Amino acid sequence: MTDHEPTEPATDESITMSNREPATTAETASDEPTGENADADADADADPDPDLGPEPDPNVEGGRPAIAATDLSHAFGDVRVLDGVSLSVAPGEIVALVGPNGSGKSTLLRFLARVRAPDEGTVTVASTDAGGGRARVGYLPQQPGFRAGFSAADTLEFYAQFVDEDVDVAEVLERVGLADAADRRVGALSGGMTRLLGLGRALVGDPAVVVLDEPASGLDPGMVERLFDIVSALADAGVAVVLSSHNLGPVERTADRVVVLDGGRFVADGDPRAVVESVGAADLQTAFGDLVATEEVTGR
Amino acid sequence: MSGGGLDDIGDLFAIAARELRTVVRTPAVVALSVVFGLTVVAVAAAGSGARGGYVPLVLDLLPFVEALVPLLAVALCYRAVLSDRESGELDVLRTFDVSRPAYVGGVYLGRGLAVVFVVFGSLLAAGATVPVLSPPDPTFLALNEAADSPVAFLRFAVLAVLFALAVAAVALAVSAAARTARQALALAVGLLVAIVVGVDAAAIAGLASGNLGIDAVPLALAVSPNGAFRSLVLGVAVETGGAGSPTAALAGLVGWVVAALAVAVLTAWRPVE
Repeated sequence: MTDHEPTEPATDESITMSNREPATTAETASDEPTGENADADADADADPDPDLGPEPDPNVEGGRPAIAATDLSHAFGDVRVLDGVSLSVAPGEIVALVGPNGSGKSTLLRFLARVRAPDEGTVTVASTDAGGGRARVGYLPQQPGFRAGFSAADTLEFYAQFVDEDVDVAEVLERVGLADAADRRVGALSGGMTRLLGLGRALVGDPAVVVLDEPASGLDPGMVERLFDIVSALADAGVAVVLSSHNLGPVERTADRVVVLDGGRFVADGDPRAVVESVGAADLQTAFGDLVATEEVTGR
Repeated sequence: MSGGGLDDIGDLFAIAARELRTVVRTPAVVALSVVFGLTVVAVAAAGSGARGGYVPLVLDLLPFVEALVPLLAVALCYRAVLSDRESGELDVLRTFDVSRPAYVGGVYLGRGLAVVFVVFGSLLAAGATVPVLSPPDPTFLALNEAADSPVAFLRFAVLAVLFALAVAAVALAVSAAARTARQALALAVGLLVAIVVGVDAAAIAGLASGNLGIDAVPLALAVSPNGAFRSLVLGVAVETGGAGSPTAALAGLVGWVVAALAVAVLTAWRPVE
C-alpha cells in the first residue's frame, strides 16, 4: 500500500493511473510488446507535436499526462538499452523505475529530463503556462555535481536566476532538510547532503515534473525516509515524479506505480502491490528478483 | 525560464558572474595569475627596456607576452565547459532551458574578464616601472622622446588583451569539444604549441620552400594569433612597422574569436527538441 495517494485517487489499485493490466512475467517474457508498448505502437503514426504537450492518454488519470515518453529506443554502439518503451505519468503520480544495474534506467531518465535525445521516440511534457511555453523538468542526476567553492545557498541562488518565479532559496533548503547547511561550502557537504542539494536544485522553480535518478543512493535510512517524504509531498502538490531506486522498501510504500526495466523493455508495470502479487512474491524486493531472474532465464 | 532575447542575456550574465566567482575562488588559478603578474613585472624590472622607456619595454615584453598569455588563457579556460559536463551541471542547466549561446557566451565573458584583469593589470604594473627605472633622457632605443609615451604602452596592453581573448576563445572551444579531461589536456597542449610556434613555423617553412610567396606573408601572419598580435604591436602600438597588415591581423584575431566561439556553441551539447 502506498503512503501517498495520487491527485485523483484511482478506484482500482491494480490499474492505478494506467488502467492497464500490470505486465506479468508470462506476458513479458515473450518478445511480444507489453500492453503499454502495444499502445505506443498504435500511436506511433500520430507523431505528437512536442509543442502541444503530451497527447491525451485514456490510460492516464485525468486524460492528459504531465509527461509522456512514446516508443523510445536507444542503443550505445551494439548494445540496445531501450527497445520501444513508452511511459505516461499523470500529475501527482509517483512512478518508480527499477531494474538491474545497466538496464537503462538512467538513460531513460535523461530522455525524460530532455537532456539527451533518444535514437527513436518522443518525449512530451505538458506546458504549465498559458502561452504553451516549454515546461521545465526538474532533474537530479545520478551523481549530482556542484562548484565546490560555492555555498549551498549560493548554488540554489544561481539556479534561481533561470526561472521566472521568485524563488525562496531558504524555503527550498528547508524542504530538503539543508536549512542548517545553507552557508556551508558544497565541497564540505557529505555525499548524502550533496544529493539532497541536488534534489533542492531540481525543485527550484517548482517544476510540474521531477525526474530523480537514484535519489536515495548513499543516504542513511533516516535520510531515505526523509527523501521519500519529500517525494510524497511533491506528489500531493500535483507534481509528477519519476524516480529510479534500489531502495525497494520505500518504493513499495511510496510509489503509485512501479515499472521494472530489464533488457530494454518494461517487464512489469503497475501498482506495487499488483506487481508483487503478479509473481506471488512477499514483497517488491522478492518480486523484483523473480521478474529479473525470469527474464534472464528466458534469454532476454 | 529562458525564452530567448532578454532572458538569454540575463542567463548569460548569470553564468558569467558564476564563472568569475569560480575563478576568484580557485586557489590554483589565483596562484597562476599572481605568478603571471610577478613574472611580467620581473621581466620589466630586470631587463633594460624599462630603463629605456615605454617602447623599449614593449619590445622587451613582447616575446614573454607571446608565450605567457596563451599559457594563462588556456589554463583558465581549457576545462571550463568540460568541468560542467563532468559534474553533470551542464545537463542540469539544460533543464533550466539555458541556450547554448547564452551558456558559452557567459562562460567566455566570465573567464575572459578574469583573463583581461590579470593580463591588463600585470602589464600596467610592468608599465609603472618605467617612470621609476628610466633615466631622464631616453636611451638608444627611443631616440625620439616624443615617440615614447605611455600611450604606446597602453596600446600594447590593449592588444595583449585582444590576443588573450582570442586564445581564451580557442581554449573554450577545446573545453567544449573535449569529452574527457585527457582529451582536453592533449588538445590544450597541442593548441599552445600551435599558437606559440606552430603557425609561425609553418609560415616560415612555406616561405623557405617557396610554397608561400612574399606577398602572402601578411596573410600568413594574420592567420596565426601570435603573428597577428605581433603585427599589431609592431604596426600599431610602437609603430616600428613590420611585414604584417594591421587590418588583416585584427581581422585574424577577431576571426579566431568568432570561429572558436561558434565551435564552442556547436559542441557544448546536442540540442534536444
